[in-house]
Amino acid sequence: MARAALNDAAATVAASAGKPPRTPPPRRRAGHRLSGRWGWTARAGSAGFLAPAVLLVAVLLLVPFAVTLYQSFTQYDGIRPARFIGLDNYERLATDSGFRKSLLNTFMWTVGTLLLPVVLGLLIAVLTNGASRLAWVRYAFVLPYAISGTATAAIWGFILRSDGALNQALGFLGLESLQREWLLEWPTNTIVMIVANTWQAVGVAVILFLVGLQTVPQETVEAGTLDGASGLRLFRHIVFPQLRPVTVVVVGISIANSLRVFDVIWLLTQGGPGRVSETLAVTMYRQTFVVSDYGFGAAVAVVLAVIVVGASWIYLRQQMPKRA
Amino acid sequence: MKHRKSLAVVAAATALWLAACATGSETSDQSTDTLTLNGDRSDFVPAYTAAGEELKKLTGFGIEPRNVPSTENYQQVIRSSLQSSSSTDIIKWWSGYRLQDLARTGSLANLDAEWDKAVKNGWVNADTKPSFSYDGHVYAMPMYKSYWVIYYNKKVYKDLNLSVPTTWEQFIGNAEKIKAAGVTPFFATQEAGWTAFIWFGEILSKLDPDFYVKLMNGEAKYTDPPARRAMEIWADLYDRGFFTAPDTSWDNEPALFKAGKVAMVPMGTWRNAAFAQNGLTEADYGAFVMPPVTPNTKPSVIIESGVFAVPQRASNADAAKEALGEWLNPAVQKTWVDGINDISANPQVGITNPILTSVVQQVQQLKPMELERYWEASPPALIEGNVQDLAAFMVKPTPQNIESTLQKMENRAAAEWAKWREQR
Repeated sequence: MARAALNDAAATVAASAGKPPRTPPPRRRAGHRLSGRWGWTARAGSAGFLAPAVLLVAVLLLVPFAVTLYQSFTQYDGIRPARFIGLDNYERLATDSGFRKSLLNTFMWTVGTLLLPVVLGLLIAVLTNGASRLAWVRYAFVLPYAISGTATAAIWGFILRSDGALNQALGFLGLESLQREWLLEWPTNTIVMIVANTWQAVGVAVILFLVGLQTVPQETVEAGTLDGASGLRLFRHIVFPQLRPVTVVVVGISIANSLRVFDVIWLLTQGGPGRVSETLAVTMYRQTFVVSDYGFGAAVAVVLAVIVVGASWIYLRQQMPKRA
Repeated sequence: MKHRKSLAVVAAATALWLAACATGSETSDQSTDTLTLNGDRSDFVPAYTAAGEELKKLTGFGIEPRNVPSTENYQQVIRSSLQSSSSTDIIKWWSGYRLQDLARTGSLANLDAEWDKAVKNGWVNADTKPSFSYDGHVYAMPMYKSYWVIYYNKKVYKDLNLSVPTTWEQFIGNAEKIKAAGVTPFFATQEAGWTAFIWFGEILSKLDPDFYVKLMNGEAKYTDPPARRAMEIWADLYDRGFFTAPDTSWDNEPALFKAGKVAMVPMGTWRNAAFAQNGLTEADYGAFVMPPVTPNTKPSVIIESGVFAVPQRASNADAAKEALGEWLNPAVQKTWVDGINDISANPQVGITNPILTSVVQQVQQLKPMELERYWEASPPALIEGNVQDLAAFMVKPTPQNIESTLQKMENRAAAEWAKWREQR
């Protein structure tokens, strides 16, 4: 009732200002549905427009997910008929030390790819925004984004292997004590792979933050300056709050990317040595396509899907602007 | 009305198109004179075609090769396609337990008659039948017969005045002198994943070949003394700094070997093709069978055979079987092994490559026990897991890690053998 009254008031104000009244978007509310023949026709028409998208999502996402979910309760080698074994695969997961390590690595990847690309992306965007002399710095960080994960892994493999460029450079500089087997020791291997991934992924964060910075109205910055704010304070209280929508997107992308990271790990360490650098995506791939234990691989996929969907849902629910 | 008709026509056309796709892009026409063949080795593709031309003269069927570059993807493609008629007429696969893993699903065609014909003609060693069989029946024909040898850099050997070793002491003595000269004696890496089993398999087979066979067949334990001793020898060689770093790129191996940065490389004779492609000739390198650890140990050599099999539901399964019946014919094999630079499974086929000739001569002279390679010698899930443990050991090859590594491998062996036997 109160909302209807407000709408009426808004319409009145608009009419009095010589503008057409703003019609609120139609809402689906009890007692306010389209009825009769025209209602059905309109709904059927809408369904026709929605059908292709709904069908695509159902066929390409929901059906495979349902099949994977069923497969996770079976023993299946990819050829012979699957045998239903209940929760056995999930019990194996709970007792598998490799899976626990995989979960831990996935967590490290999430934290790492959340912090590094977002913080670095923001920093580079802020420092280079509007400074045409520093455009080359921006390009230097953005260009790796155009490189595929496979090429990124090949470059960083050349750098990080024991006989690679990094150790050679450290040796040349007389810093032998800093030389490491970067890809062979845990957690060093996971950390350096996160760095390698950041090198490639930071570009998109820079682009998005630059777009965000260019949408910040100059008047607000000027108003803040007049009020005596400058430097970090100006950024913190005036600019950064206005970057919130972009930050939400960048963080969301980073979360999703970190949870499904695969190519860099597979090409640099194959999840090894042993299984110490596996993440859930790598474990899923290894169990399914290398060991041909499709049921177990499906169980890992389900756990990963629950984490991805859960994390995304919680994050977006927290961050997305609420509808009035 | 007209609109509805158009929609119906479009729907029908789409359905027809989808139905056509359902027969698979891997298949060939049923009345064809060309058989499709799928594999995961792009470097074999020209040789498949060349051998196919010889095969066509004998059977009327040539070969049209396909290739999936990634081994993991290839295995997935084959496993999926075996359930339908969309597979190629012939597939490349692995021998031993990897073949059994497919054969026991009933998805491969029986090749008993083709095998018997090859044995009768003297085209294959009848003793190797178990490598291509499941439950007493043959399901694949060998593609080649690779011996696992130690390749050595002749320049390094010449500079240090070394001779090809025939005893373990000489072998290790050479490594010591090479190390002292600032060259890494042996290539070893876990970087490519599967390569982690190479030294374990080589040392164990040269220490106690009978135990190796028992262990591979699930009749001995990884915690038994010979396995422990093999790990101790391996750890000792690591301690003496004889190996390359465990993350050395496997793709870089021919270049390191050519440059004389690594003096000896353990690998199957199939690697000969890669060395030749890198410009190495007979003057640059040679090969020898690794000597036994003690003089009393029986000489042995690890062998490996890729195989060709026929999917039961392939559209030209009968023609493919007929073609594989002639696959080991010397006329086909000569072209094939010259193309892949390896050794034929047919002992009648002569070898022109001098390195391979020397290997065959050594084998004829030593008459070693022939052992299946670790990769194919036990159930795949067991091997895949153990290779991971061996890779972890290569990073920390200390005596303290031996027991825990072997125990993990034994625990997996117990579980996987039980599963394998249950699924028979």
